[in-house]
Amino acid sequence: MRLSLSDVSKTFRSLRGPVRAVRDVNLAIGEGELFVLLGPSGCGKSTVLNLAAGLVKPTSGEIRLGERVVASRDGKVFVPPKERNVAMVFQSYALYPHLTVFENIAFPLRVAGEKKGDIGQAVAHAGKTLGISDILQARPAELSGGQRQRVAIARAIVRKPALFLLDEPLSNLDAGLRASTRGELKRLQRELGVTTLYVTHDQTEAMTLGDRIALLRDGAVVQTGTPRDLYERPETPFAASFIGSTPMNLLKVPVLEEGGDLCLCLGQGRLPIPPGQAARVRRLGTAGILFGIRPEHVRIARGTADRPVTGTVTAVEDLGRESLLQVRVGDTTLSVLTEDKSIGEGNAVALDIPLEKAHFFKKERDR
Amino acid sequence: MSGESQVRLLYRAGVLGMAIFALGPILYMALTAASVRPDFLSPGAAFEFTAAHFVSVLRTTSLHFPDYLRNSLVVSGISAALCVGIASPAAYAITRLPLPGRMLFLLCILAVSMFPPVSMVSYLFRFMGTLGMINTYAALVLPYTAWILPLSLWILTSYFAQVPADLDRAAVVDGCTRLAALRKVVLPVAAPGIFSTALLAFIFAFNEFLFALMLTTDHAARTVPVGIALFEGLHGEIPWGVVMAASVLTTVPVVLLTLVFQRRIIQGLTRGAVKG
Repeated sequence: MRLSLSDVSKTFRSLRGPVRAVRDVNLAIGEGELFVLLGPSGCGKSTVLNLAAGLVKPTSGEIRLGERVVASRDGKVFVPPKERNVAMVFQSYALYPHLTVFENIAFPLRVAGEKKGDIGQAVAHAGKTLGISDILQARPAELSGGQRQRVAIARAIVRKPALFLLDEPLSNLDAGLRASTRGELKRLQRELGVTTLYVTHDQTEAMTLGDRIALLRDGAVVQTGTPRDLYERPETPFAASFIGSTPMNLLKVPVLEEGGDLCLCLGQGRLPIPPGQAARVRRLGTAGILFGIRPEHVRIARGTADRPVTGTVTAVEDLGRESLLQVRVGDTTLSVLTEDKSIGEGNAVALDIPLEKAHFFKKERDR
Repeated sequence: MSGESQVRLLYRAGVLGMAIFALGPILYMALTAASVRPDFLSPGAAFEFTAAHFVSVLRTTSLHFPDYLRNSLVVSGISAALCVGIASPAAYAITRLPLPGRMLFLLCILAVSMFPPVSMVSYLFRFMGTLGMINTYAALVLPYTAWILPLSLWILTSYFAQVPADLDRAAVVDGCTRLAALRKVVLPVAAPGIFSTALLAFIFAFNEFLFALMLTTDHAARTVPVGIALFEGLHGEIPWGVVMAASVLTTVPVVLLTLVFQRRIIQGLTRGAVKG
């Protein structure tokens, strides 16, 4: 079912005054889509999820589930979670400790008053889908983290919800299990075809899972798009630094105009800005400009002869296949990813920076 | 002697000391109750077993001991049930709703239970007299409930605070109303806390003396502590054998109750594991 939020805001009252957790959020999530809400902790992404679930009432704005208005602009309509047919997986799993796994999964069906035979069948099916048929009689306390996770997902899918809400479901798992469960979640979501809203602070999860991603900061949506959009065309320095397994280099560098061409000054080097980018740079104004380049796009070579940009390696982090180098160029430092393991600390290197892959932003005011 | 065995020895000595300190008087009570020559104050006399005191406590109609015991159980049971019944939803609300000044509220409630009973008992007597409730169960149940409720609320609030809020949110998303979430999820999960609070409330009410002394007049509502205190022998002497036999019989239901509830409490704790 489609989910849409228009101009939704939520303000919490606290002892220190009102907190605007969600500001004018607009989202349209399509049928069967896996939509990821990504952002640092405290950005309001979980509140958006709770708004969709009906656990939280919006202060203003409208939420629609399918064609039905579940929370209206004037606050007159509010459909409680019970009538929304949404299912949620919590970060803490929130399994009912006093019930067996079977009863945990059956809980939503029992509450809905379904027939006993149907419940048994549905639970058995959900258990089989998640591979937990052998632990249906156990209690949550006896299960491992990964098993609890599966029970929580089984409980969510057992009644075929209109909307599937996942609140950081993988963050309590260890790294190996997280990667495999991630793939499984994606497969499961495809099979069920349920519209899914997925909250995470982990950009890798967002990139690998999401059909589309909304990046949030301070309660507002910063950018919405496919993972590729966000990676290739970040609209703000925040988006640029948040997406990508190693954060993008963001440098305040002077831009000079030499004979009608724009040049980027990096240390002693002068890099001509390609015509495609020049227009954007001119529009942003050359004074307060931020230059961004991803560590994986910079090529590095030992030796400094005849190269425009040169520097010294100040730190090496071995990531296995690749190394992350910190290279000092003039008075700035760039991160560079390379597979060349022969480069060590203190080496003089030349950098080849492909400006066609660079990003230019207006400098943000300090927060 | 190694440090570890020293520690173990000290530990055992401590346990033994505590056991003697706590159980000694009870043992002495039982011995006195079963002795042919029960003399509380000169314990030198040789012990000779008899069940006569127990028989006379239960058989002598003028003592009304079975009545007292029934009154005690009923009054304490109702008081405990009322306390837990009122305090549980209250504690749920306190821990789940965004109440400003929640701590102030809890402190005010605690202050109510700080009034010394002596300061209220004369007023209570007139109050119950006016209502015509002297010597009824209500005369005891109402003040007991009011007196134990604050403590119950405090204990239950800390128990409910330990039940993760995600559990009731999960229940609500799974289709429960707030009340159904309380009934189906929060209460069962908090059950060990509720049982221990109920037990505590029961024992508080069961042991209470002053209110029971002032607000009851005879075996229609008088409770065991007062009843035993007012036992009198034929010639005005204190019948220690009967008093102690009654005390032993009074201890039995409390011990049984504790054992039964203890099992539930421990069971609840071990299967709990709310953590994710």
